[in-house]
Amino acid sequence: MQNSVHLVGKKAGFFFLLPAIVLISVFLIFPAIWVLYIGMTNETLTGIHAANPEFVGLKNFLRIFNDKFFYNALRISLLFVFGSAIIGQAGLGMTLSLITYRKSAKFKSFVQSVAILAWIIPEVVVAYLWVAYLDKDFGTLNSLLNWLGFGKVNWFYDYPVLSIILFNTWRGTAFSMLLFSAALETIPPSYLEAADVMSTSTWRKFKDIILPNIKSYIFTDLILITLWTFNVFSPYLLTHGGPSFKTELLPIYIYRNAFRYFKIGYGSAISTVVLLINLALALIYLRLSRRSSK
Amino acid sequence: MFLLIGLLAVSLFGIKVTIIANAVKGGKNTQVVDWFESFLPQIEKDLGIDIELIQAGIKDEDFKARIVLDIKGGGGADIMWIDGFWVPEFVEAGYLRPIDDILANVPAWKYYYDSMKDMGSYKGTTYLVPAGTDVRMIYYNKELFKKAGLPVDWQPRSWEDILNAARTIKEKLPGVIPIQLNAGTEMGEATTMQGFFMVLLGAGGNLYDWDTGKWVIKSSALKDTLNFYKTIYVDEKLGDADLQVSPKAREKTFDLFRQEKIAMYIEGTWFYTSVLSPSNPSWGFPDRDERIGWAAMPGRGKAGDPEFVSISGGTGFAVNPNTKYPGLVAEVLKRILYLEPQISYFEMKPFVPPRSDLAELSWTVNRNSFIAETSKALVKYTTFRPGFPVYPEISFFAQLLTERVVTGQMDIDSAIEEFANSVIDVVGKKDVEELP
Repeated sequence: MQNSVHLVGKKAGFFFLLPAIVLISVFLIFPAIWVLYIGMTNETLTGIHAANPEFVGLKNFLRIFNDKFFYNALRISLLFVFGSAIIGQAGLGMTLSLITYRKSAKFKSFVQSVAILAWIIPEVVVAYLWVAYLDKDFGTLNSLLNWLGFGKVNWFYDYPVLSIILFNTWRGTAFSMLLFSAALETIPPSYLEAADVMSTSTWRKFKDIILPNIKSYIFTDLILITLWTFNVFSPYLLTHGGPSFKTELLPIYIYRNAFRYFKIGYGSAISTVVLLINLALALIYLRLSRRSSK
Repeated sequence: MFLLIGLLAVSLFGIKVTIIANAVKGGKNTQVVDWFESFLPQIEKDLGIDIELIQAGIKDEDFKARIVLDIKGGGGADIMWIDGFWVPEFVEAGYLRPIDDILANVPAWKYYYDSMKDMGSYKGTTYLVPAGTDVRMIYYNKELFKKAGLPVDWQPRSWEDILNAARTIKEKLPGVIPIQLNAGTEMGEATTMQGFFMVLLGAGGNLYDWDTGKWVIKSSALKDTLNFYKTIYVDEKLGDADLQVSPKAREKTFDLFRQEKIAMYIEGTWFYTSVLSPSNPSWGFPDRDERIGWAAMPGRGKAGDPEFVSISGGTGFAVNPNTKYPGLVAEVLKRILYLEPQISYFEMKPFVPPRSDLAELSWTVNRNSFIAETSKALVKYTTFRPGFPVYPEISFFAQLLTERVVTGQMDIDSAIEEFANSVIDVVGKKDVEELP
């Protein structure tokens, strides 16, 4: 074709791609196929099926769809993603970036530093901080409430999902905030200055100028944090999936089956299903973002 | 011969034999670390090798996962101090090395009781040398009993006796939790063994029917067990239900017992000899022997019920099939089992001895007579758990069963219904039964 410019020949192109293809195959495609295969066996980590796993076909998959713990975990994961990623991280991140938008550099760097601090502390340390904060008996929050004359609240027990949603929002807001702040910088200042001159309301400025200009960034952010949050395991450090499975996210449900009951086959089958859910979510977002950028 | 080759190899490559135990200095089972440190240097010198103790102070469930993944991955410590209860499922998976050949050269092996040898063997082959066993009972704080006007020499004869003592404490000592009977999934296996089984056995029930080889999903004993839980945690609030389900529940109950905010606690030998030991910096009582009493756990109290109950676990040394130096491992193991280190371990952290030479010394070696007395009183009543590969999952559902009842999430009948369905899901309909 005349209008397409080939910098390198087809063969050379393939040659350049080869390392990437090999890496992706070894670290992504092969493990995914392996998990799919293990998911079709009754392999366990101890007992007779550890030494001699048998091929059981789709039995594990059929079992998943009859397992009410799977639906429980799926429901909680969706709630967790919606609460902590979409409302929490993206919402709060957007709010923070708008608050600091077109403000003094000092103020901006202060707010950003605080948010980033929560993001860069190691996961296990953060989990300990939150246990220390929300614990019923020795937690800071209850001591504070006690001092103000309120009774003790067993946060992890009475508000388990809310606790892990707050935890994950606090933990991950920095990413969305940074991404949105950067996106806001791409809006030509003249747009908003013109709106200022016409004394447009703040809401109109947001809806008609800011939002259309950073839409594609929002989609990128939502894809990434949804997938990350869907696969987050750290709430386990806070609640161990309890009380009574109320915070059992899908990854914790997989962990319980694979490494508590040692049912590696069944755990792999669930992992495959979760992988497909992730793919589906990514596809939905990509389609939405493509449609909106048209 | 092995030894010679070993010595030669050491001088060339610097051989290291590793031992793993769920013990960490200053924390869980700290005495175990002290003990190893006291005699391993001598063995290192004798054999001319390095011996490394790998410490882990984690939940038993996590420790098990770690061991399993270590061995499955082709590595792991050479000598593993593990729960004897894991032997069947580990052997089926090919995770343990048969050790009859090693034990043939261990002079002390002839002193081990047959019942303890059984714990370490599977289908006629030995895989584990028992290190110790235990029994379960009710511990009570004599100071609190005195303050509440209860007899300091206390031995309940029925569940009602326990409840009455708890009621008195609740009335006389506000702020003190009368009784800690483990419940819920957060406590893990400690709920099944120290809580659930100790009550269920007292009503003449069991999780597994040894005669028919089936798992029991419904019985009046199970119902009564849950009623006992409900009386304590829901109806009369003689225990703290919230505490059972909060993170790190077990450590918290130890804290509260140490602060004398819990009056009665159903636990194993380990609780007395390790948790409450004067040498334990976190939870030990300096005056433990005077302050803490123990009583046998009575049965329900109806005609035909067992008088007293207890359930036992036990740990021991097993050998990793991945070991590179079976000959040296045999030499190390042999020396660990010499009477001298065994006595010094017994002095540091008394346990119910698995061998007669040690048992005979237990009356004289340890200044307090706790072990000798509890062994004598309780070993005849004690039972063991059904050690099958499916057990951990069923045990989990038993923990969940207690959690649902003590937190008031479900009434007893629907909780049992859920439990029954879960067990059927695990083992299949043909391997369960309902008892009257």
